[in-house]
Amino acid sequence: MKVFGPNELLNDVQKGGLCVGCGACVDLCPYFRNYRGKTSMLFPCTLAQGRCYASCPKAEVDLDELAARHWGGSYSGEPLGNYREILAARAGEKMGKGRFQGGGTVSALVTFALKRKQIDAAVLTDRKGLEPVPRLVTRPRDVAACGSSKFIAAPTLAVMNMAVREGHRRLAVVGTPCQMTAVAQMRLNPLARDDFLDPVAMAVGLFCNWALDHRALAAFLEKRLDPSRIRAMDIPPPPANVMILETADGKLEFPLDDIRPLIPQTCFICPDMTSEWSDLSVGMFEGRTGWNTLLVRTERGGALVEEARARGFLETESMPAPYTDSLAKAALQKKQRALRTATTREVLNVNQDGKRSALRVRPEVVDSILSAQ
Amino acid sequence: MSQRLDPGAGARCLLMGNEAIARGALEAGVSVAAGYPGTPSSEIIENLARVAGERNLYVEWSVNEKVAMEVAAAASYAGLRSMCVMKQNGVNVGSDFLLHLALAGTRGGMIIVPCDDPGALSSINEGEARQFARLLEIPLLEPGDFQEAKDMTRWAFELSEEIRNLVMVRSVTRLSHASGTVVLGELPEPRKEARFTHTGFILDPMTGAVISAPVGYKHQQQQEKLEKATALFEVSPFNRYVGPDKPELLLITSSACYLYSVEAIRVLGVEDRVGLLKLGTTWPLPPKLVEKHLSRTDQVLIVEEVISFLEENVKVVAAERAHAIGAKTFFGKRDKTVPSTGEMNPDHVIAALAKILKIQYETAPEEYRKRGQTISFFGAPSRDLTFCPGCPHRASFWSIHNVLEMDGREGFVCGDIGCYTMALTPTGFSTLKTVHAMGSGTGVASGFGKLGQFGMDQPVLSVCGDSTFFHAAMPALVNAVHHGSRINMVVLDNGGTAMTGFQPHPGLSVDATGKQAPPISIEAICRAIGAHVENSDPFDLQDTQKKLFRLLERTDGVNVLVLRQVCSLSPQKKWKKLFEVSVREEVCLGETCGCNRMCTRIFRCPGLVWDAQKKKARIDEVICTGCGVCASVCPSGAIEKKEAA
Repeated sequence: MKVFGPNELLNDVQKGGLCVGCGACVDLCPYFRNYRGKTSMLFPCTLAQGRCYASCPKAEVDLDELAARHWGGSYSGEPLGNYREILAARAGEKMGKGRFQGGGTVSALVTFALKRKQIDAAVLTDRKGLEPVPRLVTRPRDVAACGSSKFIAAPTLAVMNMAVREGHRRLAVVGTPCQMTAVAQMRLNPLARDDFLDPVAMAVGLFCNWALDHRALAAFLEKRLDPSRIRAMDIPPPPANVMILETADGKLEFPLDDIRPLIPQTCFICPDMTSEWSDLSVGMFEGRTGWNTLLVRTERGGALVEEARARGFLETESMPAPYTDSLAKAALQKKQRALRTATTREVLNVNQDGKRSALRVRPEVVDSILSAQ
Repeated sequence: MSQRLDPGAGARCLLMGNEAIARGALEAGVSVAAGYPGTPSSEIIENLARVAGERNLYVEWSVNEKVAMEVAAAASYAGLRSMCVMKQNGVNVGSDFLLHLALAGTRGGMIIVPCDDPGALSSINEGEARQFARLLEIPLLEPGDFQEAKDMTRWAFELSEEIRNLVMVRSVTRLSHASGTVVLGELPEPRKEARFTHTGFILDPMTGAVISAPVGYKHQQQQEKLEKATALFEVSPFNRYVGPDKPELLLITSSACYLYSVEAIRVLGVEDRVGLLKLGTTWPLPPKLVEKHLSRTDQVLIVEEVISFLEENVKVVAAERAHAIGAKTFFGKRDKTVPSTGEMNPDHVIAALAKILKIQYETAPEEYRKRGQTISFFGAPSRDLTFCPGCPHRASFWSIHNVLEMDGREGFVCGDIGCYTMALTPTGFSTLKTVHAMGSGTGVASGFGKLGQFGMDQPVLSVCGDSTFFHAAMPALVNAVHHGSRINMVVLDNGGTAMTGFQPHPGLSVDATGKQAPPISIEAICRAIGAHVENSDPFDLQDTQKKLFRLLERTDGVNVLVLRQVCSLSPQKKWKKLFEVSVREEVCLGETCGCNRMCTRIFRCPGLVWDAQKKKARIDEVICTGCGVCASVCPSGAIEKKEAA
C-alpha cells in the first residue's frame, strides 16, 4: 500500500471530488473535521505520510494487498467478495419483534456482542432528523435506536477514531462498503507503528449501492418539508423507483429520478456493493419482508453468528440460490460501472509520472470483471 | 509625568514630542481637548487627561474623530481655547465637519493636531493630513524639533485667535514618539468662564449664529484670514535659513525631515555648498520668503515625507516668480531623487545630496553590506507579527477560522481596525479577507450580504473591536439590518481601546480622566437595532464554536456574536493567571501523525515552545498568561491546566 500524507489526501480526494465523507481521516488528528457531512482540512499538515491517507477508501486502495492481508491470496473480483456462507437472517425472539426496518440482524448481532462482552463498544450511526449522527454505543439497549437505513454518507469512522484515542481496543464498527474498506486499511497498521493494536473486534458491513450527499439532500428537502420531522427513510426494491420518507406528518414519496442527482460522484467509482472487507455483511433480503441477507466472511464473524443464533438473538435460514444469483448480478453490475467510471476519470491503476491512483486492481481482474456476464 | 507642570518656566526637560505638544497647549491655556486614540497621537490626550483636575481642563476620548472636533469646536465658540487630536486618517473621519468649521470660523483659539505615520509603522495607510490644510484652506504648521513642537503648538492658538479660524499643527511618528530637550515656558492661570454668545447680528463672527453660509461671503472671509496668516508666516521665526549666501544647492524641508537634512549635510561635510531652508509654516507658503531663498541658487532639492506637497507648493511660487528669479532645476519626489513612499531618513537625504553634488559616498562598505545581508537572511529567525500570549483574539480567530473551514462554503470575514487586523496573517490563521477603515468591515459585509440575488451563497462575517463598534461600526450595522443583509457580526470586546493603550470608550464605566461614566451595552444596542444577539467567552472554544455554527445556520437577518474577554495586557489582568498550564511530556505527540505540533506550528501562542531536543512542547512560564486555551487546542490532552492559586 502506498502511503502519502495529508496534502496528497487534500489534493486527490477532497479537491478531486472523491471524498464521500466516511470519517476515516476525521478526528485522527486536529486537522481533518467533518461538519454536516463534509470533510474539511482546517490547517495544513506537513507530514509526508499520515494515517489519514492510509485509511482513506479513495486513495491508493490496492485490492490485491487488502485481499492478501485479510484473506490470503489475491483479489479475484468475485461479485460478492470472499465469504464463507450466505444466509437469510433476522433478529431472534430475544430482540423482540417488529421494530426493525429490515430484519434487525445488525442490531441483534451488535446487541448480542455487547451483552456477551465480546466488544466493549460499538460505532453506529444514529439519526437526528435528516442528519446521520455517528455514535459510540456501550449499552446494549441503545443499539436498536441506531437501526434503520440512512441512505446518507455519514462520518461514522470519526467516532471510531475518537474511541481509539480514548483507549477503546475492542470495537464493533457498523458501516458502508467505503467505511469497511477504510477500516480494513486501518487494521493493517499502515504506518508500521510499534504501539499499534487492532482496535476492531467486529466489522459489520452494510450493503450499499450509493448514498446521498447530506448537504445536497438537505437543500433538496428543505424546500419540501421540515427535515426535523423525518423519522425514517426507505428505498424499496425495483420496480418501485421511489424514496420514501416517513415523517411525523405521514409518508412522503419522491421519484428516484429526482434523488439520483444528489448522489456524490465518488459513489460511482466504488466497486463494492456488499462490504467485502468486513467480518459480516448485512443487507436487505429483497422480496422477503422482515428478513436480511447475511454474508459470513470471517471465522470470528461466523462464531458470533453461531452464538447469537444459539442464544436466541438471531434466527437464520439458508438463502435460496436464485436470490444469491441475483444479488451477485447486482454486485457485478456495480463493479463494472465502477471500473468503467474510474477508468474514465483516470483514478484506476494510474502509474505514469508518479501520479497517484484512487484504486488499484490487477488489469487481468479488471478485464475479467468487465467481461463477466 | 511631572514635566507637564513642573519644573516651571525656563527649565530644560527631556520631552517626548507628544508631551511637548501637550505642554505647548497647556502654556497656551487650552481648556478643552478631545480626540480619538490612534498611534502615534494618543499620548497628547493622555497627558492632558492626567492634569485635567489641576489645570481645570475638560479632556475626553470621544467616540470618534468627528465628534472630537465638534466637541472642541463648541469650546471655541464659547470663547475657550481648544484642541482636537488624532492620527492621520482621523482627519478623514471628521473632514466633513472641518470643511464647515473652517468656513464658519472659530472664536477661542482652536487647533487640530494630526500625527501622521509616514512609512505606516503603526498604520495600514500612510495618509497625509497636510493635504487637508490646503483642502480646508486653513494654516498649517509643522514642527521641526521638540522645542518647536511645544512652541509652535502654543503659538498656533494665538494664530487661531488672530485670524479666527482653525489652525493645523502636524506631527509625525518620529517627532511624536522620539524625545528631545525642551525649554519650558510659563503656564497661564486656568480659564474658568465659558459663554456662547449667539444674540448678535447673524453675520457677526463673534456674536452671531455659527454657520458656513452665506458661502460666498464666508469663503471670501476665510481667504482673507489665510492672507493674514501668510503675512505672519513671512516673518515667522519657525522658518530659518542656514548656509552660504549663494549655495550650489538649496535644500528646502520641514518637519522631522529637517533633522535628517541637518545630519546629511554634516555627514557629507557640504555645509559650504548646501543652503538649508527649514520651513515651519508650510501652508500657505510665505511667497516672499520662498522667493528670497530661491533666488540664492538655481538648484533646489525638496526633502519631505510621503506626498510631494511642499515640492509642488514651492514650484507654484517658483513659476509665479520665474520672471524675477529665473528658471530653477528641482530635485525631489517628482523626479525620483528621493523615494515617493515610506519614511524619509538621513541615508535617503545623503544619497540625494551625493547624487546632485556628484560626491562618491557609500553608507557602508560593499563587503560589510553583503555580509549583513547574508547574516540577516540566513541567520535571523523569521519573526512574524503575532498576538500576545493569552490574547483573546487568537482564541476568537481560532474558532472563527475553524467554523468557517468546517462549514465549507468558502465563508469569509471582513476585518476592521485594531490589534485583530493582524488576523490577516498566520497569527490569526489568515482569517480576515478585507480590511479598510474603522467600521468598514461591517459596512463591506453589509454589501456582500446583499449579493444573494446574484447567486452568492458564501457566509459573510465581519469583526470589529469594542471601541471600533462605537466609533463607526454602528451605522454599518444599522444599514445591514435595515436592508436585510445576511451577515454575522462578531464583536471582539477586549475591554478597552487596547491597541493604542487601553483608552476608555463608551462601553466602559470610566472616562479619559478616570471619572465614573455610564457604560453603554453593545448587546443592548445591537438588539435595539434589530439584530439577533448572542455572546460568549472566546476562551471557551466549544461554546464559541457552537454559537458560531448556530449563527451560520440561521437563514435570515443579521446576527451579532459578542466575544468578550479582557486583553491579556490590560492593567486589570496583567500578571494574573487564570490557570497554571503545563505539558505532560509522556502524552505529547510532538511531530507524530495525530498532532504534528499543532500547538507550536499552527496555534503558535508565544507562551508555547517547541523543545527540539526532546521533541515535545513546553510552556514558557515567564510569558504564559494562563488563559488555558492551548489545553483545549491540544488534540491529545497533553496540555493540562489547573486553576491558579
